[in-house]
Amino acid sequence: MTNVVEISGLRKNFGRVTALDGLDLRVASGEVHGFLGPNGAGKSTTIRILLGLMRATGGDVTVFGRNPWTDAADIHRRIAYVPGDVNLWPNLTGGEAIDLIARLRGIGGRSAYAARRAHLVDIFQFDPGKKGRAYSKGNRQKVALIAALALPADLYIFDEPTSGLDPLMEAVFRQEVTGALADGASVLLSSHILSEVEHLCDRVSIIRAGRTVESGTLAELRHLTRTEISFGSEGMDPARLGAIPGAHDLMVDGGRVRFTADSDAVPGLLGTLAELGAPGLTITPPSLEELFMRHYHDDISDRQSETDADGSRRQHARRGAR
Amino acid sequence: MSELGVLLLQRLRRDRVQLVAWLLGFAALAAVGHSAVTSQYGDPNQRAEVIRVLEQTPSVLVLRGTPQGTQIDAFQFMLLFAFLSVLVGLMATFLAVRHTRGDEEAGRAELVESTPAGRVVPLLATAVEGVIAVVVMSLVGSIGYILTGANTGEALLAGAALASVGVAFLGVGLLCAQVMATSRGANGLAAALVAAAYLVRGIGDATGTIDAGDGLHVTPGWTSWLSPIGWGQRTSPFSDPTGWPALLGAALGLLCAGAALAVRSVRDIDASIVPERPGRTSAGVTLRGPIGLVWRELRGATIGWLIAAALFGLLVGSLSEALNATADSGLKDTLGGTVGQIAGPDVHGDLVDLFIVAMFAIIGAIAAVNVAQAIIRARQDEAGGSAEIVLSTPVTRLRWILAYLVVGCASVVAVLAVAALSALAGATAAGAPSSAAGTIMAASVAQLPAVLVMMAVVTLIFALVPRLTVGLGWGVLLLAIFIGQFGGLFGLPDGVREISPFSHTPVVIGPHVDWSAAWVMLGVAVVIGGASVLLLRRRDLALGG
Repeated sequence: MTNVVEISGLRKNFGRVTALDGLDLRVASGEVHGFLGPNGAGKSTTIRILLGLMRATGGDVTVFGRNPWTDAADIHRRIAYVPGDVNLWPNLTGGEAIDLIARLRGIGGRSAYAARRAHLVDIFQFDPGKKGRAYSKGNRQKVALIAALALPADLYIFDEPTSGLDPLMEAVFRQEVTGALADGASVLLSSHILSEVEHLCDRVSIIRAGRTVESGTLAELRHLTRTEISFGSEGMDPARLGAIPGAHDLMVDGGRVRFTADSDAVPGLLGTLAELGAPGLTITPPSLEELFMRHYHDDISDRQSETDADGSRRQHARRGAR
Repeated sequence: MSELGVLLLQRLRRDRVQLVAWLLGFAALAAVGHSAVTSQYGDPNQRAEVIRVLEQTPSVLVLRGTPQGTQIDAFQFMLLFAFLSVLVGLMATFLAVRHTRGDEEAGRAELVESTPAGRVVPLLATAVEGVIAVVVMSLVGSIGYILTGANTGEALLAGAALASVGVAFLGVGLLCAQVMATSRGANGLAAALVAAAYLVRGIGDATGTIDAGDGLHVTPGWTSWLSPIGWGQRTSPFSDPTGWPALLGAALGLLCAGAALAVRSVRDIDASIVPERPGRTSAGVTLRGPIGLVWRELRGATIGWLIAAALFGLLVGSLSEALNATADSGLKDTLGGTVGQIAGPDVHGDLVDLFIVAMFAIIGAIAAVNVAQAIIRARQDEAGGSAEIVLSTPVTRLRWILAYLVVGCASVVAVLAVAALSALAGATAAGAPSSAAGTIMAASVAQLPAVLVMMAVVTLIFALVPRLTVGLGWGVLLLAIFIGQFGGLFGLPDGVREISPFSHTPVVIGPHVDWSAAWVMLGVAVVIGGASVLLLRRRDLALGG
């Protein structure tokens, strides 16, 4: 399988501030790749480098095997992009903006485009006759989404595409992306909405402070975290509970026994659980949210432990960059 | 502190830089006008002579105002009051719209109106801020008159006349913001009303009757009663001080502000008297690439500049002959000295030719402002994020920036051509000799190189320091215009004047015109422009800020 996007050791500095610090990312052909990270982790910067809008300070970046900075226009013929914050032209209507973007991308077959556009305008319940400034955030996002999905592309890049959409429209978005994937396209989806990533993505990269901290299929990533196990505590012998192999953080609370175990150690526990009887047994695999929170949480605790002096130094660095 | 006080302070704080800039611009214009008048027309006999010429040329009365005698302050009032009125009027309408419809459009009004301030208090705070700004500006005008030796009471009346115009247009602006759904629409309507007030007054002045007495006073025609600027003018503070016409402006302002408050207190947020029409749901044939897009973005402004160029050209054409026919030789020398200094260093020649060259220097400045707008639009698109969308399609950086340069160049050529053609039409209608036609065409073409150099310089700023494009771009342009075209009037040394490309514009007077500087400037424009485009391809997109 070839990689559509290949990033290794990507660095980007803005003045003295390091935005990306050795980021790695691979999007294989035909996969939907989730790109996760807290605000300011460098997701949008990475995407702008992939689009040749910004130049990498260091590291290797290729899109379709080519250099996105020097071959930007050629690469863009195969890309559809939805920015995180869609800003429209104030004196153009939404319909005009959609057509303009589509024409810039290059409309192959006019009737196919017209039909596809009409379909998308309809299911996104979009009013194309209003002027750009009159649209809400969600409606501006719809302009970019309709323009992106109205023409086929080999790579779709979505930067938090549904942050302004309601749950109904999110569902429409998922359905349309799934439809677009049928002809073998790849997707890079940066998102905060973890359920969306779980629904759509084959593989996920989690970044933090400009570095990739985790990358793999959802199943692989789940192996890295612990599964939560709980069952009724009535009549359980504390000594036997203490002897469950591989149990961490065991506690008895509110009539339930709870503990966690490494995900790949769970099958080995099943015999012990059967011996115990374990009434009302639940085994909960880790959600993506827990995965995300685990890394994010480290970040929060880091910040809390930082001294004030350190915090003010950061601010200086940021100011210096302006 | 009450809600009104908090909102008033917030408005003053938000506008502090802008209002100071308006005030400085206003003071500078008034000072320049004053020094030009005192240095060129220091002698009452000269002023009487000028007034007699003006009375024969109604097109100048349209631009300036009606003569109110030869007293120096009255003479200045005639030359400047209408201009200053437009300045104060625009300041007031922009202020009114910015804090009402502008805030509503941006969503800030919703935030404020959800507090105990409610719907009406923010509008009231805007009105109070506007009155403060107008009064301060008018006081600066009065103080200027007093400092140059005018009678205090008369100077204060002149200020009150200006303030009445400002208050009238403040009310008009507040009402426009209720009428239109967007700040763009409201600003457009309000500015059009300011322009209409200026023109209606102009027609009144041009159709006025010369007083029988000394023949140096003109009473405007009845149409000037339809304009707040006309009311202000009729206070004639330095010849026949009359206070009550100023009250008309204040009353109009109060009436409009009251109507705006009434509308705002009963209408929904985001609603307007004239609802915004739904636009087309798909793009027309011209909107198919970067050039079509840039044209669409700049269309309104360009059409405005073309109309201005046409009117100005017509005026220049018709005036050039009137000057020739009316003025006696003594006045010709005086006028020739003034326009000669605008036309260029050490320029001498026929008064009509000098006049045409000097006026086209002003048209060149208009064209340069037009072209700077194109590049500044590129920066605004980059900062606003719409350029990111365009550049994520197969459009290259080169094609993207060239669209702005092409549309900018085309509109400069159009502005100069329209000005030249309308000047020709005006001159022909007035019966000017055919030699004037040649001067008009040459003077028009001669403006192009300097304008292109300025376009290239603004592009270079955009390529090197994108975040400073708007401020630095306008600053450099206005400085170049000022040094190049008015440096002579202020006696700047040649070394300083030569920095500006406008100082090198060929002087198209006499049989042997030297075009070499024009070719050099074209070359400079191409080199700087080319370098800018290459630099632009090498930098990151600078979003935001």
